[in-house]
Amino acid sequence: MTQRRAPLRAPDKLVFLLSLVPYLIEQQVVTVAEAAAHFGSTDDQIRDAVRLIAMSGLPGDTGTYQSNDLFDIDWDAFEEHDEIVIVHHVAIDEAPRLAAREAAALIAGLQYLAALPENADSSALASLMAKLRAGASATPSGLAIAEPAADSSLALIRQAITGGRQLEFDYLNARGEAGRRRSDPLRIVSQDADWYLQAYCHTREDVRNFRVDRMSELEVLDLPVGDHGDLDVPETLFQGSSSDLDVVVDVAAEALPLLADYLADSSTQEVDGRLRVTLRLAHVHGLKRLVAGLPGLVTVVAPADARQVVAEWAASGLQGYDDVSVP
Amino acid sequence: MKIPVEDRLFSLVLALLATETGLLKAEILSTVRGYAERYDPHGGNANLERQFERDKDEVRELGIPLETVESPDRPGDNQALRYRIPKGQYDLPDEVRFTPDELALLALAGEVWRGASLSEDSRRALTKIRGLGIEPREPVIGYAPRLRVRDAAFEPLRSALDRRQRVRFAYLKPGETAPRERRVDPYAVVLHEGRWHLHGRDIDADGLRTFLLSRIVGKVDVVAGATFAPPAEGVQDRILAELDELRLSNVADLAVTAGSDAEVRLGKRAVLGDEDAGVIRLHYTDVAVFADELAAYGPEVRVLNPAGLRDAVRDRLRLVAEAHAQTTEGTR
Repeated sequence: MTQRRAPLRAPDKLVFLLSLVPYLIEQQVVTVAEAAAHFGSTDDQIRDAVRLIAMSGLPGDTGTYQSNDLFDIDWDAFEEHDEIVIVHHVAIDEAPRLAAREAAALIAGLQYLAALPENADSSALASLMAKLRAGASATPSGLAIAEPAADSSLALIRQAITGGRQLEFDYLNARGEAGRRRSDPLRIVSQDADWYLQAYCHTREDVRNFRVDRMSELEVLDLPVGDHGDLDVPETLFQGSSSDLDVVVDVAAEALPLLADYLADSSTQEVDGRLRVTLRLAHVHGLKRLVAGLPGLVTVVAPADARQVVAEWAASGLQGYDDVSVP
Repeated sequence: MKIPVEDRLFSLVLALLATETGLLKAEILSTVRGYAERYDPHGGNANLERQFERDKDEVRELGIPLETVESPDRPGDNQALRYRIPKGQYDLPDEVRFTPDELALLALAGEVWRGASLSEDSRRALTKIRGLGIEPREPVIGYAPRLRVRDAAFEPLRSALDRRQRVRFAYLKPGETAPRERRVDPYAVVLHEGRWHLHGRDIDADGLRTFLLSRIVGKVDVVAGATFAPPAEGVQDRILAELDELRLSNVADLAVTAGSDAEVRLGKRAVLGDEDAGVIRLHYTDVAVFADELAAYGPEVRVLNPAGLRDAVRDRLRLVAEAHAQTTEGTR
């Protein structure tokens, strides 16, 4: 899987240089490709950094950079064999401490991962967090995440994925249709508090996203999964398709980020103090739940039947409270 | 030739690490690469001095302990200040070493954040840790965990938290009709039940308060010059425990329709359930937040009690029904 890399800013490049030096010293001899793989960078980023390091050093007592005060590398090995050997180093030989906010970010990330079945042993996670705190140059700032409620299905899904086994389960889709599905599980994807299984669905003969909290009666089968190396597994959970429904809504500005997954395009228009935007959804069943869950913040403008579906959804909910009259 | 910024910063860090006694600003500007080329020995280095001030901040933001040492002979004299980075406080301590399994887990933790300063901070931390040269176990496969921060107030609050700066914002408390300005010393920002909360000292109320970030209206501003002492260590864990206690003290009984989305999804979170009667019991933290969630289920769920939650859901459904009924009313 290729990842897009944002161009590095100067502070990131500095961190990279300060981290690359102790790594190169420790390795003694390492190829550019190995170093790039270790840091998840490109070969050229490593080469540029090595050239810069090789010409850096200390101003020394005389205030001029003398060769003994500079880093030095084996230039022949570097130029001819793409190998990095530091033959002289100055000032640094160890990895730098973490900034308090850097440690805080990783600790909070780990807290989010506490829901994974692998992390059922919370003492291992706690000791890892303690190491991050010890490795920070100041007390990590007060950022924390409550362990999200772990869905017991995750452990079974995980077992199927790591074992390469097919998985069968009852599934209730957003349209309210229930059925038994047989799938080749590919990976577990989460978005905030929601967990999904991306799987090749034998019933639909295509890759589908299943909400883990809509799955029940899971069973790991004795059947191996097929080879899906050629399948295009989408990076994002929400994919538009030609059968999608475009809906125009008015949304309060502060609620717009909550609709980000559904925006059909980036255009907004101000109407009576609200923003008019177009959403793209798979069907009206998703729409009515979305709009009813943001009461007073989102109003459907068009099409009329979508508006009607939302009105009926809310009205029939209201009927459950017999002490009120339905508008 | 212009020296790239990272080259100047790298040279600065090397020079300050190598000095025991510290370097004077004039020494740094006149000798360190990136400054020296532009240094004028006859004075008038104001631009260069400002550059150095910004670089110092930048280096410190990365967790590098750049120190200022006053001259014992000339206390208070800025020109006599010396700068250094004590190596003992720069190096990652020896006891901080990670196992290949831990590294794989850290890499996954770094993947969690999407956007925001958190992903940048995670990336830098991982780069530093990779400097240790430990080869991770093969990456944890089969997971793509993602956590987004969608509250606009998050970034300014996190930054204020870090710098221990007082903030000011308009806050709309549920039940109040207009937002009211609050001044707060931010102590912790925590995610609980899918919502970000700010905990801190409310200056006007003179007490500890917890706020929902989603109810902050408009911008969060820093109150210039007002900083505060660090809060007790672990305040974030304490506030999470408090929120959890609050959650456990709130109990709702819900009637759910058999075979519905509400039954399947809410049922998974139920602490008690009577399947025959179609009634489940759940805990919740905040009436308004939980009522929003329940309203989304429309007719699939009905609140039996408490009355406050029941009213809140009913009001929300009525709001949605009314907002969408107006134009179609005449055609019915």
